[in-house]
Amino acid sequence: MAEANILQSRLDTRSEEYLNNLEAMQSLWDLVADELQKVPTVGGQRYVDRHRRRGKMLVRERVEALVDRNSPLLELNALAGWGTEDPVGVGVFAGIGVVEGIECAITGTDMTYRGGAGNPTTWNKQKRFFQIVRENRLPLILLNESAGADLPRQADLFIHGGENFRDLTQLSKLGIPTICVAFGPNTAGGAYIPGMSDYTVFVKERGTAYLGGPPLVKMAINEIVDEETLGGAEMHARTSGLADYLALDEMDGLRIARQIIQHLNWNKLGPGPTKEIEEPLYDQSELLGCAMANVRIPFDIKEIHARILDGSRFEEFKPLYGEKLVCGWGNICGFPIGILGNNGILFSEEASKGAQFIQLCNKRNIPLLFMHNITGFMVGSDSERGGIIRNGAKLINAVSNSTVPHLNLMVGASYGAGNYGMAGKSYNPRFIFTWPNHRVAVMGPEALAGVMDIIARNAAAGRGEQVDEEKLTERRTALETQIEHESTALYSTGRLWDDGIIHPADTRTVLGIALSACHSNEIVGAREYGVWRH
Amino acid sequence: MTSIQRLLIANRGEIAARIAKTANRLGIETVGIYAENDINSLHTQKVDIAIHLPGATLQETYLNGELIIQEALRTQSDAVHPGYGFLAENADFAQAVQEAGLIWVGPTPDQIRNLGDKIVAKQTALDAGVETTASYVVTPDGDIPEVTMPAIVKAAAGGGGRGMRVVENSQNLKQAIEDASREALSTFGDGRVFVEPFFSKGRHVEVQILGDAFGNVIHLGERECSIQRRNQKLIEETPSPGITQEIREKIWDSAVSLAKHVKYLNAGTVEFLISENNDVVFLEVNTRLQVEHPITEAVTGLDLVELQIHIAEGSQLPISQQDVIFTGHALEVRVVAEDPSINWLPSTGSITAFQINDQVRIDTGIQTGSTITPDYDSLIAKIITHQPTRKESIRHLKRSLQRSLINGVKTNLSMLIETLHHDDFQNGNTQTCFLEDNPEVLSGFKTNDEEELALMLAAVFALEYIDTQSAQKKGLPSGWRNLRTQGQRQIWKSKENIQHVEYIISGNSAIVHVGEWPEPQEDGTLTPDQRSQHKVRLIDRSLNQQTIEIDGRRQHIQTNILNETVNLLSTTATATWERQPIFTYRDEEQMGDGPVSPLPGTVIAVHVTKDEIVQAGDILMVVEAMKMEHKIVALVNARVTTVHFQEGDRVNTGDLLVSLEQDQ
Repeated sequence: MAEANILQSRLDTRSEEYLNNLEAMQSLWDLVADELQKVPTVGGQRYVDRHRRRGKMLVRERVEALVDRNSPLLELNALAGWGTEDPVGVGVFAGIGVVEGIECAITGTDMTYRGGAGNPTTWNKQKRFFQIVRENRLPLILLNESAGADLPRQADLFIHGGENFRDLTQLSKLGIPTICVAFGPNTAGGAYIPGMSDYTVFVKERGTAYLGGPPLVKMAINEIVDEETLGGAEMHARTSGLADYLALDEMDGLRIARQIIQHLNWNKLGPGPTKEIEEPLYDQSELLGCAMANVRIPFDIKEIHARILDGSRFEEFKPLYGEKLVCGWGNICGFPIGILGNNGILFSEEASKGAQFIQLCNKRNIPLLFMHNITGFMVGSDSERGGIIRNGAKLINAVSNSTVPHLNLMVGASYGAGNYGMAGKSYNPRFIFTWPNHRVAVMGPEALAGVMDIIARNAAAGRGEQVDEEKLTERRTALETQIEHESTALYSTGRLWDDGIIHPADTRTVLGIALSACHSNEIVGAREYGVWRH
Repeated sequence: MTSIQRLLIANRGEIAARIAKTANRLGIETVGIYAENDINSLHTQKVDIAIHLPGATLQETYLNGELIIQEALRTQSDAVHPGYGFLAENADFAQAVQEAGLIWVGPTPDQIRNLGDKIVAKQTALDAGVETTASYVVTPDGDIPEVTMPAIVKAAAGGGGRGMRVVENSQNLKQAIEDASREALSTFGDGRVFVEPFFSKGRHVEVQILGDAFGNVIHLGERECSIQRRNQKLIEETPSPGITQEIREKIWDSAVSLAKHVKYLNAGTVEFLISENNDVVFLEVNTRLQVEHPITEAVTGLDLVELQIHIAEGSQLPISQQDVIFTGHALEVRVVAEDPSINWLPSTGSITAFQINDQVRIDTGIQTGSTITPDYDSLIAKIITHQPTRKESIRHLKRSLQRSLINGVKTNLSMLIETLHHDDFQNGNTQTCFLEDNPEVLSGFKTNDEEELALMLAAVFALEYIDTQSAQKKGLPSGWRNLRTQGQRQIWKSKENIQHVEYIISGNSAIVHVGEWPEPQEDGTLTPDQRSQHKVRLIDRSLNQQTIEIDGRRQHIQTNILNETVNLLSTTATATWERQPIFTYRDEEQMGDGPVSPLPGTVIAVHVTKDEIVQAGDILMVVEAMKMEHKIVALVNARVTTVHFQEGDRVNTGDLLVSLEQDQ
């Protein structure tokens, strides 16, 4: 009985195909790794040295000291801002770590990049992070020091920037503890980070908070005052009451934060891992060669299941029906999970099977994992007559109204309505993690350029003009290159379309941490949906 | 002839437990006694019932003969075994026991009384024809005898080194006699002293004797007990490695003659000093079971307590001299709660770990959780080995001690290992001056670097294993990061040894850096990384063992974890490593009492003195840790009330350095 449902891998790790895929994935990951390398010292060596000279720790060093020993730590959106005018990582750490045995959301500003001042992507990253905090009900620790807004860029961030403070106080309203440790200046808008937090810790002679700094005070009311008198840690601890705790130094500030966590009387609301944890039977590092380097060539999605599920066990649902959408149950790190994975495009059968499976998981309160390798829904007259819209609508209805946590894992393409049917970004999944080979767009670059080509030819024909083949080919190539660039994993992560690119071999670990975080909140399935179009 | 049904053991600790063991084997019920601070001691668990002796002093408890006899009668005991120490050589007590109608397991009260007086004992020896050097009874105001120098002045009633004076030349003899006599009078209430020749390079050899009520006397061979500190024995062995067969037989015969002469009853020991020139000096007779009796039991195969009981019951000795056959060599070490490296300073506290390798005989009254108090002697355990030859005994005992671990108090365990390692000891050069001639053994046995690293890393990965078993991390890789800036950094401590460790685990292997990690310097740049790197494979792990391979060297290490402390036992060594806290709790400092040390380190400068007035920001002290100088600064204007450490002192994280009183 216990030996049932064990997946048999058919992956030939000596085949040329596997080795090619492995090599291609490795070189894609190397690009990502190079970018990740830049993040901790993105402010530049000169500013890192200056920061340390002042006896301060880098933000990630603070995080390392804060979390429990030997605990895993998942950094989110580490490459946010990639390919934009903002630096990779946008000068903010955001992640999930264990503090005093409790999973916490931890964020911190990197003072070495423009004094920790916020740019538009900073606010977006923070916004997404607060959403993760709220949906997963994670106690929030803010390791704060910031010069405020990056003033020259105020136009792009001022209007929406205020949402961060609204989010903070709403977290508090929901009963999610917010703890702010002020390591340096918290100026202007930044002052509302401690201002809106449940608990505040100020580091002596380092942490300051004021709405207007000495220059602005001088400008506004002609008062001449030094920073420490205006808004120093001692003043806030002894006089204004903004600081609940006065820390003697940085390490002491982190110690106090841990002490606060210890007394939160915190319990997770989910049932937690309810199954025995078993390692998968297959080597997780083989995940590197599982996915096709070329997203247009399909591969068996169950090779991934075999390498991420506990004991490589997978109970497949409806294996003989709509087999291009593989549905079934397994466990990851002891957490039960329902998985939908693509083995091709979606037909009517796949869409209605998916909708049924999602309803079952909601009835059983089982979180869902969507493994995207999808180029879209089937088109054509057969498909339309078979009711692909009607059936596709069922899937969209199900993913839209499902209330169990959704995790997205991008292991290949995710194009067009396929992305929607698989509960993509716009369907609010709890977490989206991406493999380096991922492609996301309304459709593949060749298809998109091809469609545009046909439209151009039709338009020319309508006007009765001759087509300039040379010009058209040029346009077509340029468009293909543009779409190719805009649909890469790095482009996607830079725009916060996901929560981070992960190494394929880390998939199980990352999903385990994410599931555990989801279980910090209650896991309750939907009881109601929109009207089903039968 | 009677039969003992119930035996009261008028003692505590290892000897009470040891006597109970034999009594139990013989089917004799046992009654123990205990003072309040012994309520959970092992010996109370080894007897059938134990009786509480109220009171706080020894006089009220273990020396309270009257109460002990009352309790013996009340519990319907029919005999009393005194063990050693306490009331064992108290003739009045022995007599009172007998007068109460109880059997005394020991010599007659007269024998105890007479042989307990060293002057009488020596005369008795001479009367019995024992060959010994001359000695002279002297009084402070009497004539000064002509004695060859060096000489020793001893008290007639002496014991344990009290009232003893060694004299190097005759001019000092008179003064020494006066001093010894005065001390003897104040200590024992008896100022009589005597003078004997002194041999600095002598051997302390004693002969075990047994006599029954029918006048039969046998000896059970000799024991050499020359390795001593402050005249207290540490290592005993039989047969003696340093005497000739002629001397051996001479002292055996002397001991038997003396015993026969006084019709000695029960077990006793005749002690001799053998000089380098084979001069034999009769020292004294111990009218009791000796601490070191187990080695005699080992080589003879006899149970001395059984024979004691047998004789006390009025039976004849079941064996004659011809039946006593000596097999092999036995060695005993005494593990004591004392620190040999600081002049045998007694150490007290709770025993947090007590693991003795069980390939040997262990006589102890201690278990994990026992408390060593200053109220009793410092003996923790006697560890005895018996092998065909002396060489094998030493080797066997040495390895057993290396695999033993005692925590909570300082012990001489490591000094014993080092002594057993010593060439002089191995060659049998074990004169009484051994520790004076070889003081280097006092600093103890040093584990080699590879072994030390293995034990430390086993500790690191034992706690790592525990950490990753906790609910929030289960099934997830230890210390996993998707954006790694550094490995897991920890500071570990074993006694004075502080080590910095950084590791990254992936799967079942780890890369470990040992040494101080780069720290920011004044200019903000990091110090160069000069750490050693090691490849570790975690082969098999559980709650109490780690099989790890370090740079291709595989070892199986047992672990015993108590919070952040790991006790480790490999097949060749033991250690205790403690993971240091990351954070310092400085609430005290916050309250204004004074600054605490932020790190474990050494005080390299003290800038203030008591009663000095300091201003906020003044440097009070400088602590060096991890090659960095940490300035300890006054946080408030205050007056210095106490400076807790001096230059050169070691300080731990969280130690209060300077107490300050804030200005009003």
